[in-house]
Amino acid sequence: MASTTLDPGRSITSHEAVAARYADVDHEYATTRDLRLMGFVLFLISDCVFFSSFIFSYLYLRTAAPVWPPLVDGKQLPYLDVSFAAVNSVVLFGSGVTMHYALESWKQLKKATFNIWMVATIVLGICFLLGQAHEYSGALQTMSWTGSPFGATFYTLTGMHGFHVFIGVIYLTILLIQANRGVYTGSKYFGLTAGTLYWHFVDVIWVALFFLFYLW
Amino acid sequence: MLERAVAIVGALLVGGTAAVQLRNELPLRSLDANVTKLLLGLMIVGCVLAFLAAINVMGVHATA
Repeated sequence: MASTTLDPGRSITSHEAVAARYADVDHEYATTRDLRLMGFVLFLISDCVFFSSFIFSYLYLRTAAPVWPPLVDGKQLPYLDVSFAAVNSVVLFGSGVTMHYALESWKQLKKATFNIWMVATIVLGICFLLGQAHEYSGALQTMSWTGSPFGATFYTLTGMHGFHVFIGVIYLTILLIQANRGVYTGSKYFGLTAGTLYWHFVDVIWVALFFLFYLW
Repeated sequence: MLERAVAIVGALLVGGTAAVQLRNELPLRSLDANVTKLLLGLMIVGCVLAFLAAINVMGVHATA
């Protein structure tokens, strides 16, 4: 483990060094930070319930259908393109990794590195959205939103997820601007923590959608 | 074919990096660290799924 020497003859661990850096955080900030964090986690749980309700609707429709993808005018709808979805999934998961590195860079007071990882995260998020738009343009040739349960659930769930990614891209852009305007410090950066948790959450929702719509 | 190759390399790279990040988070005990651990773990599962899809183990019924 990396060590840092503060006092002659005494070597402390990197965790102790971080704790020492947080010593300037006042009690009021620490308390409100914990409350805000709890509130944000509850928001993520509520968002999870929101997605779960639509996912269970999809499961009900799918298991109730005699064949899946369902028949429309006597013809079975085509399966979705797994290869492209796998690439798009990796792009989104990669953005989760870069976001994690961005937060770690901020904790280590490496602002230039933080900026690079944040821009990489935003770019990968936009790439995922463009990929989703490309997939929609292909899928709409054969499947409409109102034409079948498959189309209704697919466009609703992936559309809601895409909307979350879109909001996340805006959110991360605002965080990047705020960070460069000095809103956050080395010890007070709750917004960045919340942004990272939100982005990881968006990644994880996609894991479920990727499995349900493309692999099952 | 190119898409599958990109997905395989990407899934290995991203999944491996996420596993390293998860290992670094393991000693931490705060709420945000615990949530991060859970979400990173699920993200690794996603990388495994993408890898299995790319090598035709899952989603084999699908056609473009």
